[in-house]
Amino acid sequence: MTTNALPQPVNRLITEFARLPGIGPKSAARLTFYLLRGGDEQALDLAQALQDLKERTQFCSVCFNITEEDPCQICADDGRNPNLLCVVEEPLDLLAIERSRAFNGRYHVLHGAISPVEGIGPEDLKITELIERVKNGHFTEIILATNPTLEGESTALYLTRRLKEFDVKLTGLARGLSVGGDLEYTDEITLGRALEGRREM
Amino acid sequence: MYITHLSLTNFRNYGRLELPLPQGVTLLHGNNAQGKTNLLEAIYYLATSRSPHTNSDIQLLNWDAAQADEPLVVGRLVAQLAAQTGEHQVEMRLIREKGRNGRSGRNNRSGRNGRSEYSFRRQALVDQRKVRLMDLLGNMRVVLFLPEDVQLITGPPNGRRRYMDVTLCQIDPIYCRTLSNYNKVLEQRNALLRQLAEGIGSMDVLPVFTEKLAALGSRIFARRATFLQNLAREAQRIHYEALTQGQETIRLAYLPRLEGNGNGRSTTTSNMEPSENWIQTHQADEKGIAKRFAQSLAETQPTDLRRGATSVGPHRDDWLMTINGRDLGSYGSRGQQRSAILALKLAEINWMETITGEKPILLLDEVVAELDENRRALLLAYVQKSTQAFLTATDPGMFTAEFLEKATSMLVENGRVYPDHQHKL
Ligand SMILES: Nc1ncnc2c1ncn2[C@@H]1O[C@H](COP(=O)(O)OP(=O)(O)OP(=O)(O)O)[C@@H](O)[C@H]1O
Ligand SMILES: [Mg+2]
Ligand SMILES: [Zn+2]
Repeated sequence: MTTNALPQPVNRLITEFARLPGIGPKSAARLTFYLLRGGDEQALDLAQALQDLKERTQFCSVCFNITEEDPCQICADDGRNPNLLCVVEEPLDLLAIERSRAFNGRYHVLHGAISPVEGIGPEDLKITELIERVKNGHFTEIILATNPTLEGESTALYLTRRLKEFDVKLTGLARGLSVGGDLEYTDEITLGRALEGRREM
Repeated sequence: MYITHLSLTNFRNYGRLELPLPQGVTLLHGNNAQGKTNLLEAIYYLATSRSPHTNSDIQLLNWDAAQADEPLVVGRLVAQLAAQTGEHQVEMRLIREKGRNGRSGRNNRSGRNGRSEYSFRRQALVDQRKVRLMDLLGNMRVVLFLPEDVQLITGPPNGRRRYMDVTLCQIDPIYCRTLSNYNKVLEQRNALLRQLAEGIGSMDVLPVFTEKLAALGSRIFARRATFLQNLAREAQRIHYEALTQGQETIRLAYLPRLEGNGNGRSTTTSNMEPSENWIQTHQADEKGIAKRFAQSLAETQPTDLRRGATSVGPHRDDWLMTINGRDLGSYGSRGQQRSAILALKLAEINWMETITGEKPILLLDEVVAELDENRRALLLAYVQKSTQAFLTATDPGMFTAEFLEKATSMLVENGRVYPDHQHKL
């Protein structure tokens, strides 16, 4: 879609857009020309938003959610149950569970799931940090809310083995979630029910 | 069950085909290289999501449509079905897109060694709704006869495993899902073993994948054992009664790779019963199988760590046919092998009908010419009893006038199909 007939800055933006997931060369060109035709303000707002995304966010040093302030709002909230911990793969999974309003405990974001095929082992995830947190915390129950995929379930099984030595109840989400699916795309009602029906692991 | 209409777009040498199909026997005749085999391949592909002739599905796309500079090429196979459960439509799309790398990820079966500027993916639809590939299976059931079927007996074990899987997947969606999960776990475990062999990766992750492999693998062992036992009984009966007039007895033995050792056949490591006998008496006992499988996974772990691969499990299963106690593959005559494989295939038809209450669609590519009179008569009797069957032949002269009378003949010529109702051959 990029050609010599277009100025270099246009080509460059098309190329950048096309690198994003779910965007092909055609959509990339459409987005670029949309911005080109639109007002200056819109393009600059977008540029600022992109810059802030990297400069003004960080990982929460407690739960590894993405946050502006450290610790994050959830970790700083005294109203939340400090004895209940929910382990998720990605920040978006955390968001999905928050939307269900069925959970009032703390979170831990792993940033992925174990998958040797993709070269991802426990050391690439926030697992050491999780163990450390459990060792020093007062959790009575840990919910392993990884995705119902092979990788997610293997990660949960791995965590079960690692966390067995602690005096804490381990549970997983009830099924009813579509197997092979993503927490992120699960509707609130299903997710709420799955949380209520969580099972011991 | 039968197909009422088949439509092909950009599949092999069919640019565009709309073909109404009748019940009963259809004879596809025509010169060499006109598209007879391709038509059977299309039907088989819709039933099994695999081609019997290639592992690289991108080859199925029509060459003329798939010119190098074409950004998007779509092949479509659609069959309208009349089945017990009503009318259904099954569809498969083959999609080649330019410059969209990595999007289809691991499903990208053929992109890897081809030029990687293309991505290739498949999309299955049932009744016009997108489904997972494995959910396409089981909607349409076929039994395929090829002259090279005898290689099942004489060839390497992976062909025999594929035979079990393709046949079972057509009638057992749970088996199919289990198999697909097993293969994913196996891939993960092997990747981990390779990493550990190179001194990277975490040893404490291995038990996780081993445990999952044992759970899924034991279900596959159990299902295959039951399947082969049922098929063996029926094949033996057909072979004895109809093919050798009570002269010869074949046996079919499942060789589950429940134990590790060097050369492909399982033996007893301890004083346990050999696994091929043991599995027959324990096929209903999944827990027992899981226990024995887990035990040998533990025993072979040092070897696995050295090799960087999993040495026991259903992925290394085999089965064999014997005649009067001897391995047919090594000792059988060509004729004995032909009879045995024919008995097996005919047993497959009866087995499918018993389980589903419906006759499968029969596909016979050039097989009739290869058979002697006795075997031919038996096979054609099954063909004539079937709800729907497709036969190919370059020379329809080999069929009796009586057989042709009852069949629908169609001429296949350069990617087109012409029904000739008055079979003016
Ligand atoms: N991807 C493809 N695109 C276009 N044509 C193809 C493709 N793959 C194969 N062909 C062509 O299809 C023809 C073969 O068709 P097919 O194997 O169905 O022949 P046939 O009628 O069964 O012949 P025979 O009697 O020799 O078995 C060949 O001419 C081959 O070149
Ligand atoms: Mg042919
Ligand atoms: Zn936090």
